[in-house]
Amino acid sequence: MVKELERTGIPVVHVCTVTPISMTVGANRIVPAVAIPHPLGNPALTRDEEKDVRRKIVATALRALTTPVTEQTIFEVQ
Amino acid sequence: MKLELGYIDIRDIQFSTESKVENGVLYVNKQEIEAVALGQPHIKSAEAFLARPGESVRITPVKDVIEPRVKVEGPGGVFPGVISKVTTVGSGRTNVLRGAAVVTTGRVVGFQEGIIDMSGPGAEYTPFSKLYNLVLKMEPEDGLPQHEHEYALRMAGLKAAAYLGELARAVQPDETRVFETYSIPEGMKKMPDLPRVAYVMMLQSQGLMHDTYVYGVDAKRTLSTLINPTEVFDGAILSGNCVSACDKNTTYHHLNNPVIMDLFDRHGRDLNFVTVIITNENVYLADKERSSDWAAKLAELLGVDGVIISQEGFGNPDTDLIMNCKKIESKNIPTVIITDEYAGRDGASQSLADASPLATAVVTGGNANEVIVLPPLDTVIGDLAYVERIAGGFNGNIAPDGSITVELQAITGATNEMGFNRLSAR
Repeated sequence: MVKELERTGIPVVHVCTVTPISMTVGANRIVPAVAIPHPLGNPALTRDEEKDVRRKIVATALRALTTPVTEQTIFEVQ
Repeated sequence: MKLELGYIDIRDIQFSTESKVENGVLYVNKQEIEAVALGQPHIKSAEAFLARPGESVRITPVKDVIEPRVKVEGPGGVFPGVISKVTTVGSGRTNVLRGAAVVTTGRVVGFQEGIIDMSGPGAEYTPFSKLYNLVLKMEPEDGLPQHEHEYALRMAGLKAAAYLGELARAVQPDETRVFETYSIPEGMKKMPDLPRVAYVMMLQSQGLMHDTYVYGVDAKRTLSTLINPTEVFDGAILSGNCVSACDKNTTYHHLNNPVIMDLFDRHGRDLNFVTVIITNENVYLADKERSSDWAAKLAELLGVDGVIISQEGFGNPDTDLIMNCKKIESKNIPTVIITDEYAGRDGASQSLADASPLATAVVTGGNANEVIVLPPLDTVIGDLAYVERIAGGFNGNIAPDGSITVELQAITGATNEMGFNRLSAR
């Protein structure tokens, strides 16, 4: 999906938990997610804490989307 | 550590007024074994069935398969930390009802339990079609949460296996085998010229009922560690898995781990089987990194000349597998990995979700996506209602004549990644 979308000229960020697989399959912009069963959330946190986690992941993904890359890059969530 | 396994060969199973083992026949009192299962809290109903090799019987959905064993000499008891006290096992003598098994069935997750056919083409793909099975069909109290249901079924199965194992206590074994491991210096002194080999056993621990237990500890809460191979023969590692049937390691697989068996066969002959490293397969990337770092660190500390790695499950555990392989190879220790493949129905797709140029020696348990047609069988123990939704099944896969079309994924043990099956590839 990531590669096919990118082939049309649209930059893509792959938000995923297992970043090594994303590297193996060839995504260019990768943002680490929380865990496989809950990539964009964390049931162990309170609602407010979880919202913060989600906001940071999305912000990192937007930053990745607007950052030029010359090789496969993992953008760590700040 | 030295363990003797006394194998008592079971050649038939029958219901009887008295539970006993006599002349290779396992007699089971139906009411008693059902009472054992019903004694587990939250089990509403339990019914025992027999399933023998060659019979026109289909068992589904299968949760676990357990071999009855009993500790007759030495410390501890079988299934330590769960059924027996947490005492270290793996030495002394244990009797085994070889050829018999307890199979638990009943809906838990439904789509993640498997099929055992006792005859027909499906029987060729599961090792459990060759066994004399005591099948326990159990239903939980209404409204029981799934994870408590899984626990109840798991415990009832283990208690039933322990009940049958107890019947082997005073029986003379047909064959006795001795398994012995040594401390590191002792082993090096005894086998100075033989290559030293360790086995890295990966345990399914993704949570949400994809779990394995070590001396009663949930493996997802563990760091990679060492275990003596003979401890595994006494049930130190148990399946709590509701995950794709073809490549989950049932408790039976752990008790009869073929990698350990084969390493023991060659132990002292052409290699020195040093020990087993167990490591988990968690769903957080940090856990995957930490656990594989730790497995590689232990292999390096042991100073072994080679490592065999077996996987459990597929998909993201492929990454744990490749991390273990890469990190151990990076310590200049050659590895062989045992896995299976999801290469599409035509076998043309990429087999694993992850890969590395360092993974140069691979043994496969077969392609789980391969399609098979299972003709109707006379008796179904369990419930066919889940066969369309089972992993490897699909809507409309039951034909009007009752035959079922599934991927091998749906058959319990079909592509086992310890190599406890008959499929492979060159």
